[in-house]
Amino acid sequence: MDYFEPKTVSEALALLAQHGAEAKVIAGGTDVMVDIKYKEEPGCLVNIKKLPGLGAIQANGGSLRIGPLVTIHDIETNALAREKLPVLWEACHQFASLQIRNTATIGGNICRASPSGETLAPLLVLEAKAKMAFPDGEKTEPFTSFFQGPGKSSVGAKGLLTGIDVPYPAPGSHGVYLKHAVRGAMDIAMVGVAVMVTTNAAKNSLQDARIGLGAVAPTPIRATKTEALLRGKPLTAALVKEAAAMAAAESSPISDQRSSAEYRRWIVEALTRRGLEQTWKAATGKEVV
Amino acid sequence: MSLTINTTINGTPVSASAEPSTSLLEFLRDTLEYKGTKLCCNTGECGACTIIFNGKPINSCVTMAADAIGAQITTIEGLADGDTLHPVQQAFIDTGAVQCGYCTPGYIISVKVLLDRTTKPTAEDIEEAVSGNICRCTGYTKIVDAIQLAADRMAGRS
Repeated sequence: MDYFEPKTVSEALALLAQHGAEAKVIAGGTDVMVDIKYKEEPGCLVNIKKLPGLGAIQANGGSLRIGPLVTIHDIETNALAREKLPVLWEACHQFASLQIRNTATIGGNICRASPSGETLAPLLVLEAKAKMAFPDGEKTEPFTSFFQGPGKSSVGAKGLLTGIDVPYPAPGSHGVYLKHAVRGAMDIAMVGVAVMVTTNAAKNSLQDARIGLGAVAPTPIRATKTEALLRGKPLTAALVKEAAAMAAAESSPISDQRSSAEYRRWIVEALTRRGLEQTWKAATGKEVV
Repeated sequence: MSLTINTTINGTPVSASAEPSTSLLEFLRDTLEYKGTKLCCNTGECGACTIIFNGKPINSCVTMAADAIGAQITTIEGLADGDTLHPVQQAFIDTGAVQCGYCTPGYIISVKVLLDRTTKPTAEDIEEAVSGNICRCTGYTKIVDAIQLAADRMAGRS
């Protein structure tokens, strides 16, 4: 197996162009090393861990710019991320174990494009954007269109993720990330639900509601029909019930060793309900009635 | 192709070769014969291979040996001071927190990192610090007792 440690993004892109499908990008390695041991060795490994400039978290006006080589633990211990982006912070806090969080990068979690990737539903509801580099230039794309299937994303085999731009939610917004798994630590989510709501100035109606669903479709998804149902309405118990059922209907889970598709739909319904109730209470100070 | 890995293990500079596909765990155990760090799940899920890498606990089974170039590594072999065990090791013995013993080095490393940070860990701190370590003998109560005892001894409370 060939091995490269490119020193610049353009050098990395040239290596990917040269080696094509043979090349595998590795950063933290928590997924790729398992593939090497249990699946197949790639023809060549391109270790981007030491690429300069991709490992910092920077405040950038109204958004947080996160380098793809930032570890999950770096985000977990970042004061700005915790204060401004609690939905993402919570997903990072619940991510695998401390050992894995110290190694795994957010860029790896994103480019792996697993439907159950812990940070992905939060990035969808935060309307974060991917900055990518390709041999013919740079491109910016919202994560809402970035994921194309299990393991497939806009980065493809020729590109590199070079930045994650996460805008701060509007003032008065409240978000939660709820994960369902058997064990608290180490478990991959059976279902992950990110909910973010923004109320109107009078705090009696939903100006905006965003719902991100993880592990219940070929990619992480936004429950857009449910969001449209909620927008502009006061959140009542009846509306919560209708929205939760609609979110479950928007999901298209599979059955696997972690749970059945039917069970996953029930969990989408339950977590969407809880997420809406919790964020409404946080935003308005009142229970849903 | 073979890579030259220059790294520091338990304060001693080490140089040896490894393949790009070699994990840090394989490098430690098979090349350098540091057998204290255990191979168990080999997928980053059980914590038996936990080592301290530049001050942080990591799973060495899912880390490339190549990433150890220039790093400071502490393994279980680096904890005792001659014949005197580290307080965490001694506490595991004294509370009977060792059953089959296979998970123990990983636990002790995770606990050392915790107690280097604070010798007054809350119950939540303890749970969090070892949540990436699995004991299949399921002796968790004794392990928590050992952590508390080690904390008390390191803080001079016991």
